[in-house]
Amino acid sequence: MEKSGTSTRLAGAVQGLTSELVSALRSGDPFRLAGSVAEGDDPEVTAGLALAAVRVVGADAVLPSALRNAPCESDDLSMFSKAVHAYPPPAGASPTSVWSHWAMRRALLRLDASLDGDWDHDAEPGAAWLDDAPWQFLTHQLAVLAPLALPDEDCAVARVARGRPVDVSRGFVRAVRRRDWLQAAEAGRWLVLLDGVPETLGLVTGLEFVAQMGRDDARVALQVQAAQLMRAGVRV
Amino acid sequence: MSATEFRLDDLTEVQGIDVEAALDPVEADGYYRDSRQCAALALTGSSSNILLSPPTPRPKKG
Repeated sequence: MEKSGTSTRLAGAVQGLTSELVSALRSGDPFRLAGSVAEGDDPEVTAGLALAAVRVVGADAVLPSALRNAPCESDDLSMFSKAVHAYPPPAGASPTSVWSHWAMRRALLRLDASLDGDWDHDAEPGAAWLDDAPWQFLTHQLAVLAPLALPDEDCAVARVARGRPVDVSRGFVRAVRRRDWLQAAEAGRWLVLLDGVPETLGLVTGLEFVAQMGRDDARVALQVQAAQLMRAGVRV
Repeated sequence: MSATEFRLDDLTEVQGIDVEAALDPVEADGYYRDSRQCAALALTGSSSNILLSPPTPRPKKG
C-alpha cells in the first residue's frame, strides 16, 4: 500500500530523530531532544511533525538520559511531555499504542521529579493480549514495545518476556531468517535482558550481523546500540 | 479559521492516524537470505549455530 505524504514525512522525521539518538549513544555526547527537531519551511508544521516523531519513537526518545541516569534539560522534558499529551491513545487503541504511551509517561515521571504524585503509579495497562500468544506474534509485539526493554523495568510486558526466553529466541532467529532486521534488533534488545536464552543462539554475533545488514535503518542501529550498551552493563 | 490553521488542523488529524499506525505496525513481509549473506554471517563468527542451521522442514500439503 502506498504511504500518504504525511506518513512518509513522519517516517523521515522518525529516522532523523533516531539517527540523532544513535549518534548520542555512540559518542556519549549529551543528547538534546529539542535540538533534534528537523528544520522545515513551516516551523509550525515542522514542530508538529517532530512531536509526532517523538511519540512514535516513544520512551526511547529520552534513552540517553535513561541509560546514563542523567537529567534532561527542561526544554527537552517539555517537548517530551508535549508529545505525551498531544498523542494519547484514542479509544480502541492497540495494546502496543497504550503500552507505548504508558512507557513514555513512566519515563517522564522518572526524569521529571516535579511530576511525582501527578501520575497514577498503578495505572499499568493489562497484558492479557499476550497470554498464550504464539511465539511469532509474541516476538512481534515485544519488538514493537522494545522501549520497555530496560534492565530495571518491571511491568507486565517485561514479565511476559522474562517467562518466555526460548520463544523470544526463536522469534529472533525467525526475524533474521526473514531479513526483518528491525524486529531482530528489537527482539535482540529484549534477549540481552532475559535469563535462559540458549547459548547456541549466538546473540552477540547475531546482533552484530543484524546491525551490519540493517545499517541503512537508524532504528535498527538504535536498538542494537541499546542492546549492546545494556549488555555491557551501562547503568540504567 | 485561516487557510493556514485549516491546513495545520488537517495535518494534525492525519498525523494522529499515522502515529497510531506507526505504533501498531503490521509485521514486515519476510524474504530470505541468499547464500552470500549466509557466508557473511559465517565469517562474523562460529557461535551462531542456530542462525546458520538449515530451516525447519515445512509440513507437506495434502
